[in-house]
Amino acid sequence: MTATTSPARPRWVIVPDDPATEPSRDLVGGKAWSLWRMRSLGLRVPPAFVVTTRACAAYLADGRLPDGLADELADGIRLLERTLGRTFGGDRRPLLVSVRSGAAISMPGMMDTILDLGCDDRVETALAEETGDPAFAAEVHRRFTAFYGRLVLGCVEDLDDLPDTAAVRAAIEAETGETVPADPWRQLRAAVGAVFASSRSRRAMAYRRHYGIPDDLGTAVTVQAMVFGNLDDDSGTGVLFTRNPADGARAPYGEYLPRGQGEDVVSGKVNPKPLSHLARRWPAVHRELLAAAERLEREGRDAQDIEFTVQHGQLFLLQSRPAKRTARAAVRIAVQLVHEGMIEPAEALSRVTPEQVRALLRPEIAPGAAETAEVLASGVGASPGVASGVVVDTPEAAQARPGCVLVRASTSPDDVHGMIAASAVVTEQGGATSHAAVVSRALDTPCVVGCGAGTVAALAGRTVTVDGGAGRVYAGQLPTTAVREDSDTDLRRLTDWALLASPLRAVREQDTAGPVFDADTVAGAELGEGLPEIPPGTTTARGALFGTPEGVRAAVDAGVEAIVTDHPLPVLLAAIAHRKGRTR
Amino acid sequence: MLDPYQLTLHTITLRQFASAEQIAEISGQPRDDVETALDRAVAEGTAFAARGAYLVSPTGQDLLADVYRRAFAAPRADPEIGRSMDAFEIGVNKQVLTLTTDWQTVELNGTRVPNDHGDPDYDARVLDRLGRVHDRTRTVLRPMAGADPLVDRFLDRLGDALTRAEGGELDYVSSVRVDSVHTVWFQMHEHLLRLTGRERQE
Repeated sequence: MTATTSPARPRWVIVPDDPATEPSRDLVGGKAWSLWRMRSLGLRVPPAFVVTTRACAAYLADGRLPDGLADELADGIRLLERTLGRTFGGDRRPLLVSVRSGAAISMPGMMDTILDLGCDDRVETALAEETGDPAFAAEVHRRFTAFYGRLVLGCVEDLDDLPDTAAVRAAIEAETGETVPADPWRQLRAAVGAVFASSRSRRAMAYRRHYGIPDDLGTAVTVQAMVFGNLDDDSGTGVLFTRNPADGARAPYGEYLPRGQGEDVVSGKVNPKPLSHLARRWPAVHRELLAAAERLEREGRDAQDIEFTVQHGQLFLLQSRPAKRTARAAVRIAVQLVHEGMIEPAEALSRVTPEQVRALLRPEIAPGAAETAEVLASGVGASPGVASGVVVDTPEAAQARPGCVLVRASTSPDDVHGMIAASAVVTEQGGATSHAAVVSRALDTPCVVGCGAGTVAALAGRTVTVDGGAGRVYAGQLPTTAVREDSDTDLRRLTDWALLASPLRAVREQDTAGPVFDADTVAGAELGEGLPEIPPGTTTARGALFGTPEGVRAAVDAGVEAIVTDHPLPVLLAAIAHRKGRTR
Repeated sequence: MLDPYQLTLHTITLRQFASAEQIAEISGQPRDDVETALDRAVAEGTAFAARGAYLVSPTGQDLLADVYRRAFAAPRADPEIGRSMDAFEIGVNKQVLTLTTDWQTVELNGTRVPNDHGDPDYDARVLDRLGRVHDRTRTVLRPMAGADPLVDRFLDRLGDALTRAEGGELDYVSSVRVDSVHTVWFQMHEHLLRLTGRERQE
């Protein structure tokens, strides 16, 4: 670890830049630890220093930043300035930093990240001159002001939609009565204090209490230099996915924006170039990037989403995290990583959610069947899936006839018990956030909302097929495509692994003797909106309820041995997740 | 203030087909008080019972309307509480509905598709915003909480649901089968409507 320039040994700050010395995770937090890890892998990250959890403990004990910390912050900043040849708060080549919280265990309710700290009117001018892009400089200033208002001054209002710095400042002052300090050093000290204070937020404390995490853990603060991709033609910014996020294929995929900065790529406001552009213009940078991606994927043991910036022809890695992916890609990647020896089957199972599998297995109307069918009603598809049944128009009738289609003008909490019993829900009024939409999605029941006045009268008593994805209601019972786990190689493999890891079995047909509990035979009134009592000694459970996460949890807790379901894999995944959660 | 019998009957209207245990959880009454009140309600015809679950009868609804007029006369006439309810309806209540939809669906190529919870960052962002709305709700409802003891209880139950969701029990955001944020929010909304004598919008 590098000592800063101050004569005394720093008490509160650590510079984690020595690949040979692993910093204590408890002292520097997870974020700074991963920065150190990237460095030790030989990767270039923007320079940074950390204010330790020890400083946090002192702050929480005394209610103010500990003595000496202000000087050590200044020393840390000097180090970043020297490394990059920039000046904090300077009117030429200004240095901006990000400020992030980082506890050893991440938890909700703590302050996240402030970007572009160190900006004021003079810095904005300097940045505009240096980049030749006044709009960019203004945007940096606006964005920083909004970050500061929300995270340090505690604004709840969404400040992101406001057009410029002046508007953001006005909104902050109206809501909190406070102003964003112009002095970058005051910004920095206040931000560090705000990060420390956030570890005592009501939500963070509630979380620790509930999960038995010690209260004195505190958080560290990572201060890292911002790098710029828009300085010249030798600069740019981009993202790289180590695997295709749509189908999971093992081929790097990404975008590069010459002369672009940070969120430009993510925001979609501009059209970035494919990575091949970087390969042609800067083959050395491209090679370095691909090698880094390979290393980061092996290190993270998962497909990575890597943000990078090229500043004056030099590659900086900003962040690497598990990549977002479609349900299809999640399944592909999980299975593939096991084949590549990167993870064990048990871990692959935790990389796929029951909802992702359910999405892949959701039946659709058989090809061609919808084209010839009569459309009786159409509206907004609010919850996907296909179901057929006889239409009823009251929640009581739905309860008396499970599997029917409930059609209402609109729904309210009084309808919920009927919605639980119904196989699909249709309404005349309401949109994607209406009660019917919200509850149907929670129940994973197909739902079409906003079909217009008269729908109830037109449909009552008829047999219909509801397509909650397309937002249509068809006459009669249409054929559907049945998707099953065993028709797909990856799903079949996951199911095999899940059967070995799950606390209960999930089967398509009941396969053992012993007491059976069928939730579908429980009268609606008794089932209500809660979970039914599973009789002691039940070995097999069946019924729609046991396809849901709540039902699976109840079955595991009641010691049920098997659940009968058309779709075993989501049930097994939910059971495994529940078992893991309880023993955490 | 409602007496134990009235409070029990009122609570059944917040959750259809609730059991004695579930009613006690919502109202914060001792279980014995709830059971005594339920026995009386069934005997007097103000509630129906079906295998341990309860539903208010039309007679019970009439009785409650009468009870509300007297018991809630002061809060209904209080302009500060009126403003608090206005702020609740147009502010945090709309935000919670929108955030619930953000939780259940994500935008993909311009259309909304179900959230498969494969992106922990996205989920964390929605939970974070729900947490901030929850904090704000405490502020917005402060005048109501002064007039009615149940409001604080609802806010605490919302906090419990949020904490469980934050710990990975994802159905504690919008499931209707557990005391999720959405379940408790709807109960609280119904309670506030009855307290202030207003109708549900939408």
